[in-house]
Amino acid sequence: MSLLRNLGSGLRSLFRKEQANRELDEELGEYLEMAADEKMKQGMSRQDALRAVRLEGGSLDGAKEIVRSGGWESVVDALWRDLLFAARMLRKSPGFTLVAVLTLALGIGGNTAVFSVMNTVLLRYLPLPNPQQLVFLRLPNATPDGVSSTGDGDRSFSYAVFEALRKEHAVFSDLMAYVPLAVGKVTVRIGEDPEEAEGDMVSGNFFSGLGVSFTRGRGFTLKDETAHTSVAVLSYSYWTTRFGRSPSAIGQTIYVKGVPFTVIGVTAQGFYGLEPASSTDFWIPLQNRPELNAWDEPPSLDTLYGTPKWWCIQLIGRLVPGVTESRALAKLDPIFQSAALIGLGTPDPKAKKNILAFSPTQGIQGLREGYEKPIQILLAMVGLVLAIACANVSLLLVARNSTRAREFSLRMALGAGRGRLLRQMLTESFLLVGGGAALGWMFAISGSQALAAWSGMEVPFVLDSRVLLFTLAISVACAIVFGLAPLRSAVSVPVGVTLKTSEATAYRDRRSSWSGKVVVASQMALCLMLLVGSGLLVHSLRNYQTLPLGLRVDGLLVFGTSPFSVHTDEEKEHFYQSLLARLRGVPGVESATLISHRLGSGWGWNSVWAIDGVEPQGPFSEIGMSANGVGPDFCHTLGIPILRGRDITDADSRTAPKVVLVNETFSKRFFATGDAVGHSVGERENRFTIVGVIGDSKYKRVNEKPKPTLYFPYAQHASIPNMQVELRTHDNPEALIPSAHAVLRDLDPNLPMQRPMTQRAQFDESYSQARLFARLSAFFAVIAVLLVATGLYGTLAYRVGRRTSEIGVRVALGAQRQQVLWMILRESFFVTGVAILAGVPLAIGGSRLMRSMLFGVQPGDMISFLLALFGVILVALAASIIPARRAAALDPIVALRYE
Amino acid sequence: MRDKSSDVVQGTLDMLVLKTLALEPMHGYGISVRIEQMSKGVFRPNAGSLFLAIQRLQRDGLIDGEWKATENNRRAKYYVLTKKGRQRLSSETREWGRQAAAIARILEAS
Repeated sequence: MSLLRNLGSGLRSLFRKEQANRELDEELGEYLEMAADEKMKQGMSRQDALRAVRLEGGSLDGAKEIVRSGGWESVVDALWRDLLFAARMLRKSPGFTLVAVLTLALGIGGNTAVFSVMNTVLLRYLPLPNPQQLVFLRLPNATPDGVSSTGDGDRSFSYAVFEALRKEHAVFSDLMAYVPLAVGKVTVRIGEDPEEAEGDMVSGNFFSGLGVSFTRGRGFTLKDETAHTSVAVLSYSYWTTRFGRSPSAIGQTIYVKGVPFTVIGVTAQGFYGLEPASSTDFWIPLQNRPELNAWDEPPSLDTLYGTPKWWCIQLIGRLVPGVTESRALAKLDPIFQSAALIGLGTPDPKAKKNILAFSPTQGIQGLREGYEKPIQILLAMVGLVLAIACANVSLLLVARNSTRAREFSLRMALGAGRGRLLRQMLTESFLLVGGGAALGWMFAISGSQALAAWSGMEVPFVLDSRVLLFTLAISVACAIVFGLAPLRSAVSVPVGVTLKTSEATAYRDRRSSWSGKVVVASQMALCLMLLVGSGLLVHSLRNYQTLPLGLRVDGLLVFGTSPFSVHTDEEKEHFYQSLLARLRGVPGVESATLISHRLGSGWGWNSVWAIDGVEPQGPFSEIGMSANGVGPDFCHTLGIPILRGRDITDADSRTAPKVVLVNETFSKRFFATGDAVGHSVGERENRFTIVGVIGDSKYKRVNEKPKPTLYFPYAQHASIPNMQVELRTHDNPEALIPSAHAVLRDLDPNLPMQRPMTQRAQFDESYSQARLFARLSAFFAVIAVLLVATGLYGTLAYRVGRRTSEIGVRVALGAQRQQVLWMILRESFFVTGVAILAGVPLAIGGSRLMRSMLFGVQPGDMISFLLALFGVILVALAASIIPARRAAALDPIVALRYE
Repeated sequence: MRDKSSDVVQGTLDMLVLKTLALEPMHGYGISVRIEQMSKGVFRPNAGSLFLAIQRLQRDGLIDGEWKATENNRRAKYYVLTKKGRQRLSSETREWGRQAAAIARILEAS
């Protein structure tokens, strides 16, 4: 209560200063009058009485001052006045202020943006209540042998395991299951036009167990799961983009692969689902219809809802409070072990052990491992930029404060304490940093959006309270560092000296000019580190870009199809045959083919096939093979050379003799001495004759090693999957999109075109991380170079300016222009030399830390180092030539009359 | 000039103001006169420290102020003891008594 009253009264005197003052005046005035009345009663004249009161009780103004400074608000008031004064001083030199604030904003904004990435990828918990209780269930040894599994083998479970574990209420207050409808997006239709969206099938307790709150409507119940109800929940962002946040979205019908679902709810803002690095658009309860099979897998006996052999669903559990992870795992293990064997028969004693493990729900699952180190290195790099920026601002402040030395001396001579000056300078630097931090925060907002776009992550990099705290912490550190740095040089100047001396012979502290050089030299050393680092990363990126892919990648358009209305393999073959026939007729299309796993997408098909009826023996790393299902004209369309034999043709249909192509590595590995053509692959009725050997080409990503690879005609698959279409053209591949789309619509108006893009762009995605880091580090390096250049230029220009009359005297006494030029340049060369001596070992150490991010280039790469050195020397030269020439061109007469 | 009056013992002015107001509501000048009278001229608080104490007590919610007319037809701010102020006064009086007795015992010890 009393605190509130105190606060209220203090605030009143702060903000209604006039009134509070008037009241105090009045009260004290009355006091004076009453005291005087008393004296007048004793016979004094009024004048004498007033005088006597003042003498006895001290002056009224003094009393007022005492009362006013008694409350806490007087401190605030003084700070406020300091702030106003600092703002006035800064406004007087707008150029300085602008440069300082911009420099700081760049440094702080860059750090904040990169930290927001780190926060999202590594630190942030799911935006759900008590996220520490949530754990993802994992299989460090991957799924058991002999089951159908997904690309996410280390976190996919069978329905049997889910049903067994979810009963363990002593461990999990809730165990939730979720499984994507497809790798990427599925076809949905709301209203007329088909489109694509990302959807998950989830258990009935998914939303309640996670604690997701709802903007509209409700989530699912256990009954929705067991009855496989046709209801759907939308994410907030999908509701926003697709329905414009209209309340009427509830109750609408959304067709998922042609199956109608009724929208019953919209999740709260900020929940993007559990899929790593992407945002889920909608959820439906777990479904048992074959057309909605998990992962868009073609339905077969082993991949249907409820089959114990189909290890496809992912699990997240909420631990009962107080249960530790190790106790939970100990309890769950026996149940998991027996449930894992359901439907598998007796286990092979030699088979790998099934292990159950947890992983925390912090950061983005699956990205932590790959991103942890690179993000730390990026943060270190951007931290260097901030250090350089801070050094620059502190150099600026020192320069500015030494021109203000007279002001400070005057104020000290008039009785200002050093504490007072210190407070004022700290206020100024806090004001600068405050401006820089505010502007930097705005940079960071757009910067983190740009980063999200570049990195290809759909999850926004949230600027949350943790990021804000980080920004404030680095800002305060900056403010204190260069609030104090210039102070010493400013107040340690003896008052008399500065006031007496003129500009020309101004007192120069040897130490302060030394510390300036040290600051510039360390800036340049840091800059050298950044240049080396970014040189190495850019070099790596170039290596990715120039890697031979083994195919003619330019001029290829790729897009996906999912003909969900055709079911049997005959229908599918017919569908794809007519699709190809029509596409070949499109003007501009040179040739067209199909492929089951899109090249460069990171997804592939790995297995082991028998050769001539004999299963190869050895570890998977040696005998493992890749495979792909392909259409007619495969080699011709993709531009892969045929080394022996022939291409796949239209004749290799479903009913034709089974054939296969192998790549060169396959041929060399398994037929080292002879000709692969004519041999066979596979067993019993699935025996394929090798009809061609083709050149090695990249499959999943650009930086993979060649692997034995088989290319089966897609139509001869056991069940035909959804295919990707590849079109070759002479022109810009993207120009084909509208006409290809029209062909697709013509065949089936419900079919969307899935992720149409050039094949080049698809391959580029496989090193998007390297590109992101190379671009960012190059950007940081450019900023660092600019900052160092301006810092060095500013220091030299300032020093030349201070030495104008000295130089004038030298020239008047006969110094040659070259000598003057050299005198200035020598200083900058000396600093550069020291910086290089210090920077090279630093850069060598730093580049070693980056080894894991480099591709095809060693940490000690000579070219990168030489380029960086060259860069630093060029910067030093460029920054010092202008001040040096200006000094050399000084007219001695003008210089001597300078004051 | 101020040689006759001594400064109030550190930290006790608040207590004296409270005591004065416990008798009847009073304005600033009245408080100062009353303290002087009651102490027989030993204490005469100057205006600055008096009004500072008043501001402090008011913010702590121990006294309340209100503008009223005086008997001489002036306007002055009269202060009243609040319930909390009354409690504080009695606790401080007790505490002061204890301390004063203790100090006296120390000083009298021989």
